[in-house]
Amino acid sequence: MNQKQADLFKQGTLELLILRLLSSGSLNGWDIMQRIELLSGDVLTVTAGALYPALHRLEARGLISAVWRPSDNNRRAKFYGLTVRGRKQLEAQRKQWERFSDAVALVLRDA
Amino acid sequence: MNLKDLLRRWRALTHRDELDQDLDEELRFHLDRLIEQNIRNGMTPEDARYAAMKSFSRVDQSKEECRDARGVGFIESLLRDASYSVRVLLKNYAFTIVVVLTLALGIGANTAIFSFANGILLRPLPYPQSDRLAVLDEFSYKQGRDSMAVSYPNFLDWREQNKSFEDIGIYFSTQRFALSGAGEAMEVRGSYISHGLFEILRVSPQLGRTFTAKEDTPDEEWVVILGHNLWQRSFGGDPNIIGRKIMLNSRARTVVGVMPPNFRFPDTAELWAPLALTTKTFTRTDHGLLSIARLRDGVTLAEAQAEMNNIAARVEQANPVTNEGLGVKAKSLHDTLTGDYRQALLILLGVVGCVLLVACVNVANLMLARATARGREFALRAALGASRWRIMRQLLVESLLLALVGGVVGFFLSIWALRLLLTAIPGQIPFWMNFGIDLRVLGFTAAITLLTGLLFGVAPALQTSRVDLNDTLKEGGRGASGVRSRARNLLVVAEIALSLVVLVGAGLMIQSFLRLKRVNIGLDAHNVLTAAVSLPRAKYKEDDQRIGFYKRLLESMRNLPGIEAASATGTLPLGGGGWGRSITVEGFPVLSVGQAPSIQHTVVTPGYFHTMGIPLLAGRDFNDADAKDSPNVTIIDERLAREYWPNQSPIGKRVRFGPPEDNEPWHTIVGVVGAVRHQRMQEDTRKSVYLPHAKIPVGGMALVVRTTSNPQELTGALRREVAQLDPDLPVSEVATMEEVVAESIWQPRLYARLFGAFAGGALLLALIGIYGVMAFLVQTRTHEIGVRMALGASRLDVFKLIVGRGMKLTAVGVLIGVAGAIALTRLMHSLLFNTSATDPVTFILISVLLSVAAFLACYIPARRAAKVDPLIALRYE
Repeated sequence: MNQKQADLFKQGTLELLILRLLSSGSLNGWDIMQRIELLSGDVLTVTAGALYPALHRLEARGLISAVWRPSDNNRRAKFYGLTVRGRKQLEAQRKQWERFSDAVALVLRDA
Repeated sequence: MNLKDLLRRWRALTHRDELDQDLDEELRFHLDRLIEQNIRNGMTPEDARYAAMKSFSRVDQSKEECRDARGVGFIESLLRDASYSVRVLLKNYAFTIVVVLTLALGIGANTAIFSFANGILLRPLPYPQSDRLAVLDEFSYKQGRDSMAVSYPNFLDWREQNKSFEDIGIYFSTQRFALSGAGEAMEVRGSYISHGLFEILRVSPQLGRTFTAKEDTPDEEWVVILGHNLWQRSFGGDPNIIGRKIMLNSRARTVVGVMPPNFRFPDTAELWAPLALTTKTFTRTDHGLLSIARLRDGVTLAEAQAEMNNIAARVEQANPVTNEGLGVKAKSLHDTLTGDYRQALLILLGVVGCVLLVACVNVANLMLARATARGREFALRAALGASRWRIMRQLLVESLLLALVGGVVGFFLSIWALRLLLTAIPGQIPFWMNFGIDLRVLGFTAAITLLTGLLFGVAPALQTSRVDLNDTLKEGGRGASGVRSRARNLLVVAEIALSLVVLVGAGLMIQSFLRLKRVNIGLDAHNVLTAAVSLPRAKYKEDDQRIGFYKRLLESMRNLPGIEAASATGTLPLGGGGWGRSITVEGFPVLSVGQAPSIQHTVVTPGYFHTMGIPLLAGRDFNDADAKDSPNVTIIDERLAREYWPNQSPIGKRVRFGPPEDNEPWHTIVGVVGAVRHQRMQEDTRKSVYLPHAKIPVGGMALVVRTTSNPQELTGALRREVAQLDPDLPVSEVATMEEVVAESIWQPRLYARLFGAFAGGALLLALIGIYGVMAFLVQTRTHEIGVRMALGASRLDVFKLIVGRGMKLTAVGVLIGVAGAIALTRLMHSLLFNTSATDPVTFILISVLLSVAAFLACYIPARRAAKVDPLIALRYE
């Protein structure tokens, strides 16, 4: 990922992505990282140094909650899931994002 | 923030380790998955591990961010800063000890002086609503005399006519009572007071009642109220004391009340008896009473003063002869009591504050030097991503921690220092002073500790955090020294200037005290023992009894070995007493009481002048022929003689005393003696007359004994002689005349000593400061010096360079200090005796002294610089 992409991939965006990924079921940090890369077609990569603080921030804000349970290779891992508040937040942010990207698309088309 | 949030934050703080483990485990899981993936992609396990670790290199920082996300980052990292600081400070224990000691001394001295000032100036007086208490005093506006004390009839008029005060009370200053009948005769301090005085103070007795108006008249039953301590000490706290008769001054008095513990008024009084005055026994011209009054709610002191002006004018109109030129001054009780101390204490606070500032500057200097040495550490931390604020905070936490330890040590030092200070107050500590540690003292200590920490911490913190990373790392930790040495130079200038102010103040104060000590008080205090012996009026009713007692006592004492001369006086010079009356001189215009000067009256027995070493300038001393029925004679001092008879002998002239209309008998002047400072050593403008005891046989005399050796050795003999004549008589206030003189100037002595100590501290700190800066300069410029020498500079040039740098700073500091001192010492004017507050000699001497000392402080580093070997210096990196 080059510098411009990194700039776009701001904290808020990462958090939105995390919420979106967790909306379909709980995941651990490693899985989240893999999926972001997979789903974005390797355009977006996220480092552990950015991911874990984001997870802890979301947990601190009560948008996600975590439990320790065995992962598929039977190691204990911390799994994050959306809380009710997190779900609401995702909905609100998704709408906001759509409005924003619609608006940008509109402007670009007109120009 | 909701409750859940709070709980989470609390958990985050209290379960820190647990959560950290959680975090570690979570990240380890991630790392392991990464390694597995790398292996799957074909790496060897070792390479896989290495690659994972490398891509995970920011793991520690992300941990930090995860912790921050918990919402306790600030407090937690503050705690971490603190524990890190403790480790750093313990590692550099030499530095830590120096800083803590410097701060402890500074803070301790400030707290001690503040506690002293607090006990005198700030604590409320020990009476309810004491801010409503006022003192009324009479003064002669024609004579310009400040204080005359109050006469009884005037007081009655005030009490009747005023609307400003709830009530006015009067009393005599504390005097000695002989308590006898219960074991050994004892001397107790007590006061005659008007009824209603305790009500004015709003203090009720613990047992019994206060005096009734009827008891405050003559010919009533004799009553007394006891102080709590006296009641405990002499009567075993007898609960049935009320109604009991006790023997006071050989007269039975019925106890009607006991005051509560800690109640004191006035001074050290422990028992109280009614005044029982009449306008016949105490006339308008007898000024000798003190007053106390309580302002009505809503009345200000100024309003009360205005009303009292009107009343005084009315009283003057009604009594033109006795009250001509008399006014009334209303002052708050607090101001009256603290007036003597206020300015001196405020100045002391200022001076000791200066010393703390110098200490702060010094510590700031040390911190800067150390911060420079640690430059690499900070640069590294900054390179690893620590923010500027984070590094500043680390330094500030260290400063505050140092200040805190210094503050705590200083606080305990101050307790000890205050105890030492209090020993300077002679006799009993006045009743209204209270030197306990209260919230105000604790608050003050906390505040100056915090302020100190910020003061010496902020500048180094700012400087350090501004450091350019690249420079510092490249220069091997010596970066940005230009900026920093400018800051250090400023600190040195400040230090020199502040110490100069303190030194000049001390110079003036000590000079003033030495001059005061050298004042010729008009007598020879060496080898003189004094003691007070008072005769109770009931037992020694007749004049002859009193005359005979002192005569016999003195005669038997004169026969003792080691005693050269013995005599007695009604008023011991500088002993705090005095009796003043107006004078009328035959052949000069008759002046009313308000206009005539007040003359010090001293009743003495024959031989007094010889015993005290007061020179007899003309005529004769009193002798045994000056008896009860012989002609009235007096001896005057040279000042009175000079005023009325500048060119002729006063012997044989006649004077009389008291109000002219009283037509008291004429006294013939038989002798002239040297002037004695009776009231104060500083100045005593009151002229004196002496009268023979045989004519005025007062019952309270001070014995004065001239001895051939150490006067203290005769204390026992003196007591024995008195007991032989009358075992019921207490002997009190035994002291050498030198002690009496020394006690009278305890305040100037204390101030001179304190100033001296503060100045010594400030000077020492300033020298350490300038030495430190110069040594640092030489150390960091070794390379530069080597270059200069390689280019042809001589050792002398190098020496001059360094000393010149130091002396330039000193000169600037001295100039600023002199300007500051000129502005500030002016405030000291009233504390100085025969010394100008801008005495040029002191200013010049101190400036020179400080400059020489500063030169010496520069000398050592400069010599070291001159010895630099250019070859080694150039390789020195």
